[in-house]
Amino acid sequence: MISRVLIGSAAVIFGACVASGAYGQSWPSEAPPPPLPSKPVDFPSYQLRTLANGLQVLVIPTHEQPSVSFRMIIKAGAVQEPASRPGVASFVAALLNQGAGTRSASDIADTIDSAGGLLGVGSGNELTYVQGAVVKDQTDLALALMSDIVRSPAFPEQEIVLQKQQAMSSLQVGYDDPDYLANAAFNRLVFGAHPYGRPGQGTPDTIGRITRADLVAFHRAWFVPNNALIAVVGDLTADQLFAAVEKAFGNWERRDVPAAVVETPPAPTRRVVVIDRPGSAQTEIRAGHLSIERTHPDYIPFDMAIRILGGEGANRLFGVLRSDRGLTYGASADLNSFRTAGTVVAETDTRTSATGETLRLMVDEFVRLQRESVHPAELRGAQDFMAGNFPLTIETSSAIAEQVLVRLFFGQDPLEIETYLDRVGRVSPSDVQRVARELLKPEQLTIVLVGDAATFVNQLRPMGFFEYERIPISQLDLDSPTLRRGSAAGAAAPSGQSPR
Amino acid sequence: MVRAFALVGVVLACSSAASVDTIVRPPKFDYRMTTLDNGLQVVLLEDHSTPVTHIAVWYHVGSKDEKPGRTGFAHLFEHLMFKGSKNVRPDQHPSWITSIGGEANAQTDEDTTLYWQTVPSHHLPFVLWLEADRMASLDVSEDKFVTEREVVKEERRMRFENQPFGRLPEIIFDNAFATHPYRHQTIGSLVDLEAASINDVREFHRTYYVPNNATVVIVGDFDSDEAQGLVQRYLGRVPRGKPVPRDIPVEPTHTMEKVVTTSEAWPLPAVVLSHHITFDGHPDAYPLHILAKVMSDGDSSRLYRSLVYEQQVALAAFGEAKLIEHPNLFYMVAIVNPGGQPAAVMQALAQQVERVKAEGITAAELNRAKRQFARDYILGRETVRQKALHLGHAAVLHNDITTADGEFDLFQNVTLEDVQRVARTYFTDGSRMRLTILPKGNGQAPGGMSR
Repeated sequence: MISRVLIGSAAVIFGACVASGAYGQSWPSEAPPPPLPSKPVDFPSYQLRTLANGLQVLVIPTHEQPSVSFRMIIKAGAVQEPASRPGVASFVAALLNQGAGTRSASDIADTIDSAGGLLGVGSGNELTYVQGAVVKDQTDLALALMSDIVRSPAFPEQEIVLQKQQAMSSLQVGYDDPDYLANAAFNRLVFGAHPYGRPGQGTPDTIGRITRADLVAFHRAWFVPNNALIAVVGDLTADQLFAAVEKAFGNWERRDVPAAVVETPPAPTRRVVVIDRPGSAQTEIRAGHLSIERTHPDYIPFDMAIRILGGEGANRLFGVLRSDRGLTYGASADLNSFRTAGTVVAETDTRTSATGETLRLMVDEFVRLQRESVHPAELRGAQDFMAGNFPLTIETSSAIAEQVLVRLFFGQDPLEIETYLDRVGRVSPSDVQRVARELLKPEQLTIVLVGDAATFVNQLRPMGFFEYERIPISQLDLDSPTLRRGSAAGAAAPSGQSPR
Repeated sequence: MVRAFALVGVVLACSSAASVDTIVRPPKFDYRMTTLDNGLQVVLLEDHSTPVTHIAVWYHVGSKDEKPGRTGFAHLFEHLMFKGSKNVRPDQHPSWITSIGGEANAQTDEDTTLYWQTVPSHHLPFVLWLEADRMASLDVSEDKFVTEREVVKEERRMRFENQPFGRLPEIIFDNAFATHPYRHQTIGSLVDLEAASINDVREFHRTYYVPNNATVVIVGDFDSDEAQGLVQRYLGRVPRGKPVPRDIPVEPTHTMEKVVTTSEAWPLPAVVLSHHITFDGHPDAYPLHILAKVMSDGDSSRLYRSLVYEQQVALAAFGEAKLIEHPNLFYMVAIVNPGGQPAAVMQALAQQVERVKAEGITAAELNRAKRQFARDYILGRETVRQKALHLGHAAVLHNDITTADGEFDLFQNVTLEDVQRVARTYFTDGSRMRLTILPKGNGQAPGGMSR
């Protein structure tokens, strides 16, 4: 199946050839050579088991290098936080390896570093992860350490104080980083009070409110084996890998998890928000709107539409903004879908003097994608990229494991992976146009511009953007759906917290 | 009480980590290396685990080869290599590669420029043809040149000028070097980029983009005899160029400490302590790498534990032994926490340097660093691209392909005495720079924060 697609695309390429030339005169004019015979590609084998306590375990034995890597996902993130305690999930994650069981934060660091291992923790909208890698003779040590930090984090008060201080300092840097500001503001505007719109670590106001009891309660509610997945891949047999997981996590006690209750995100609205960052060398631009969840029946054709707008194998935005006009270094568009909703977002950055022009071109591409049918060759390009790219996506065992984990996380059958490319290949230009009409909202774009407002706001009106809201950095509150300090939704929070 | 537990932890960790001979050794590369008649070096390594092949072409030219007034040119030129050649239209190279499902990119640093693609294996002939076409017949139009120069200027604004701490490397190296072109960043200056012309492009291509200045590294699912034939067929016909000039100014020995204070529109102060060291491949390079790991790798490293965790004066503290083709720097950076005193944080960095000169490092630290090195080595050789990077680095920068495997033992053989000796050799008062970068107040604190 895959090889047939590749040969098809090769024929398109190798027919084309254009000669031109000012120097290199003696070099021949010629067409590219044909490919060698292609080889079949299958998704590699993996094994799944569920322990008696409900923990889902994925193992992939692989003997490329003498190493073992692991990734555990707990199905709890910002969505599971109490509405009054944004940032709790991120603090729980950050504190997992800062004291657990009988180990202090320093013990944990000494143990993993002395073993030459890697260990990382983090959280997102609806998950928390612990991951790492070791040379294979340290597998048991690494899993024992992981078991401690996932099951028995101590949340020591002095470590909480230090983590809060670090979070405040990094927010101070983040609030000076246009990329961070643009993403955080865009998500907040699009998702409103929905937890997907929360800035991960919280804000200077919300960080101050978090207590040890909040962290303990969050961990107790959600960190149970029946709410978790683990993948272990590496240079041992499948039985050895399963045995290592069973030894570390087999006696972890199952417990029922509560249901998370969240607000509904607001309907898409047209708006332009300018976050004023005087002295900026560029304007950071985001444009997009609320969109579909990962399990939506039109996910695949809509994803193809957005790839044509700004993904690999097509990317109209890159062509228009970078290749044709040199307005930017990077331009892309993505469909970011979670369990219950997602966003379509296009992003780029440009010199302040080109802000209006760049924004106009970007918005016009949303309109064009909806109004005009995509060219079959353009769609074919995106499909050929995905088909041809498949063997590159299964090069490492960790990448294979991630593809399986994503399906398990969304409650899909991992066998879905094997039919995915066929379904991508069946998308037609008319499918793309149908979903672009139904799901794309060029008239209701949320636009965020982070930059030196004084240098570009007068470019907006001539480009057709008649209204905009300008927010000075000093008034910015990412905890408020209006982004402004002291507004109705943000008023409940004590304000004016300082880092010390 | 907590302290006692911590000590027990350290002791246990030492005894369990035992001696060096327990470290698992990664498999060796089974490569083939040849040089074609036109001077092109060819490195082939078969890896049949997945039907993909990585093709990298290294040119031994980087920003240290740039002439005064043309900083940033090597990197600008890298962008232009995608802008058309005799049989390939502008931007067609990357779009062809994506249409076969491949990935392609390029990177420029101080010493080298590297073009790479990873593709389904049966497209190997196509990629070699593409690389040969642009090596032999690059043909960039004036308007494509002007547009791409704007793209590179945006890249500079994005990476360096519009990000907090984005200009940190530029400030460090501009102050630390007096003569050697390592003084300027690979991205170059906006003024110099603007001064570049299409004639510079042709001259640069003629001088440096010749097979006798190139190394092709191919790793993946192919047959070596067949691949060697394909390389000969496509790249073998590119004519040899003139010998490549290597007239790079030498940095004079630094005999007086340099102390600099400056300001930038950044949210927090940064302090930097650096020393001039040796080059990549010098026997002292290995203990210097080990020392950098002890200082900076992991939460148990000296800089993190001391400045971030215990004293809590820094948001981040890290260091690097920048070992590249010509002598460069060992530098340590701390981002000062709000309310912290930059002078005190600088003193804390200086104390770390003095401590290692006076006491060296501990056996546990050496063992830990060696294990971390083994981990990096093993995890850094999983993909065809990673393997090709190691082989290319050895062939081009060390001019000795055997170091791709041989460095494992060089690292494992480093002793405590070696580490203390290099600290004493290079961390002298004369080679030191103390650089303090203070925030330039813009009067507006972010919401909820005080400046």
